[in-house]
Amino acid sequence: MDLLIQQIFNGFTLGSIYCLVALGLTLIYGIMQVPNFAHGHLYMVGGYVTFFMMTLYGINYWLSAIIAGVVLAVLGILLERIVFNPMRNSPSTNKFIAAVGAMMFLEAAARVLWGSDFRSIPAIYDNVVMIGGVRLTEQRLIIIAGAVILMVALYVFLKHTLIGSTIEAMAQNRDGASLVGIDVNRVAMLTFAVASILASAAASLSGPIFLVYPAMGSLIIMKVFVIIVIGGMGSIPGAVLGSFILGMTESLGATYISSDYKDVIAFAILVLILSLRPSGLFAKGGH
Amino acid sequence: MKRKSIWLVLSLIVLLVVSGCGNKSTPTSSDPGASGDVKTVNIGYTGPLSGGGALFGKDVTEGLDLAVDEINAKGLMVNGEKYRINLIKLDDQYMPDKAATNARRLRTEFETPVIFVPHSGGAFALQQFNETDEFLIMAYTSEGKVAKTGNKLTVQMTTPYSLYPEVYSKKVMDKFGKKLALIPTSSQYGKDWSEAMIPAWEKLGGTIVANSPVDYNKEVDFNTYVSKALAANPDVLFVGGPSQPTAMVIKQARQLGFKGGFILMDQAKVEQMEGVIPLTDLEGAVCLTPVYLYDSPGAKPFVERFKAKYNGKVPAWESSKNYDNMMLLAKGIEKAGNVTDAAKILEGMRAVTPFNDPTITAHIPGIAEGGGSMTPGTGIMIENGQYGKQFSIPNPADTTKK
Repeated sequence: MDLLIQQIFNGFTLGSIYCLVALGLTLIYGIMQVPNFAHGHLYMVGGYVTFFMMTLYGINYWLSAIIAGVVLAVLGILLERIVFNPMRNSPSTNKFIAAVGAMMFLEAAARVLWGSDFRSIPAIYDNVVMIGGVRLTEQRLIIIAGAVILMVALYVFLKHTLIGSTIEAMAQNRDGASLVGIDVNRVAMLTFAVASILASAAASLSGPIFLVYPAMGSLIIMKVFVIIVIGGMGSIPGAVLGSFILGMTESLGATYISSDYKDVIAFAILVLILSLRPSGLFAKGGH
Repeated sequence: MKRKSIWLVLSLIVLLVVSGCGNKSTPTSSDPGASGDVKTVNIGYTGPLSGGGALFGKDVTEGLDLAVDEINAKGLMVNGEKYRINLIKLDDQYMPDKAATNARRLRTEFETPVIFVPHSGGAFALQQFNETDEFLIMAYTSEGKVAKTGNKLTVQMTTPYSLYPEVYSKKVMDKFGKKLALIPTSSQYGKDWSEAMIPAWEKLGGTIVANSPVDYNKEVDFNTYVSKALAANPDVLFVGGPSQPTAMVIKQARQLGFKGGFILMDQAKVEQMEGVIPLTDLEGAVCLTPVYLYDSPGAKPFVERFKAKYNGKVPAWESSKNYDNMMLLAKGIEKAGNVTDAAKILEGMRAVTPFNDPTITAHIPGIAEGGGSMTPGTGIMIENGQYGKQFSIPNPADTTKK
């Protein structure tokens, strides 16, 4: 019984990290119809910025995370301006290739600048908390809490602020949004900024229990793509639900079925969901 | 128009700032025309330089580069002519098929008589055609099977892992108990290691209570697997994969309340784990001896030379074994008096063993039949927050001692 609860918590932690990255990816897809393969690498850069702020400049963990968010917002905007904006009228294959190119560029740049070494963000919240026979570190609780807070904040931002609702409007109907006077360029930049901040937050939150290294982005992007396909490309509730489905499948599947077949189980669920609902759980019509 | 130029300027500034941050040093091994009458012999390397195994590949090539620098400083004397070694490195991202493509390219384009490959999958792939293409494989792998394929042009550079399970098991079983849980990396190497581990543990009267392999290179969080293994109440955990993820597995096991000992697979190097977790987390771990503690005249000076070249980085066996074997290769080439014929070079290498050069870290007694390593195994246990006494495990392949 303790093991079950422990694994549910583990599934939640994993799901929270996936969720923050998946939300950004799905936002970008919803607005731009671009599969941003470089999104995992923005997560990676977020991890590095947090790491260097803390170790090189001795800045406090939370402040480092905020700085990382700001740096990543700028990087996200630059990515949109330099890579995706010039290609906005190109066929989707071109955007697809551009996204892969951006991904390779970021990983190679990280390798050249920071080396291939594994780094670990100093863990400050490393104490173990016992909750009903389950052992959790404080950092894992912070991850879950942080993800929930950011999800609520994103919801409020999109639904209850004027600037946030421009993103929603554009996701729903691009032409309609421009007709009512929404600046398409500005919304594109805003979306990339928000998505990058979420990715950076995921890295800052998980950095102290995971490791920071150039290939970390490629690992997470694979899983996050599965998530947004499960949830429906461009759907926000789909990304949230998909993340927790994958997190739980991984932790419970590895425990009660077989750790060797964990990925097989995850993909079997993907196939099952897609065969029942070919465009994902929360597919939007019309694309 | 104006907005566009603002973006251009902004991105240029960011690029400049970012590129100023790192310490860029692009190593180029070829500086032609160093001296008029020095000839060049190309030596190949195919291994991971990008992807998940990039750090491992870097450790390997740093050892090779250091050796090449030292060899070239003196010059390689072959039949009275002076040579320098030019090491050509190609990236295979740890994949056997890419290693094979690289090896063909190295052989045809650069005419390398010798190719270093730091993974068993790559070595097996190269063994399919190295005899017909006539190049020598220098395999950095502890997989004993590479020396049992009957290939005549292979040298295994490090001790096979088959030496470790029984000796390591006995050490921890005596101290912690008979229940073992396995959390090995799920690569082929990890599976083979586990298969050697399980009978060794059972032979000593122990039981296996859990086995949950996990891909150390691909997984982001290990808590699930560690929780599962610990649910079976083991006394000892068998862990191992690349060093830094292994350290995270150990840390998470401690946080989940595990108090027992560890057996570390030889891929995990404790000197690389020290930077990630405190030594107290490793209490009761039995593992390879760190190079910097290794009991040989050459080990400590090597560590110092390495640190001087690579900004204080502490080398592990990846670097030192590749360094040692590059030194052996250079001596072998000199002895053979030949820079093109792989078989003659291998003969030359055999002729200079036992190799006891004062520069190398670990004595090389010889090259066994099939190219197997004769080097003894090492081990050390971490007790009371520090390293205990190191021990040596005799290698049955070493025929020179009889």
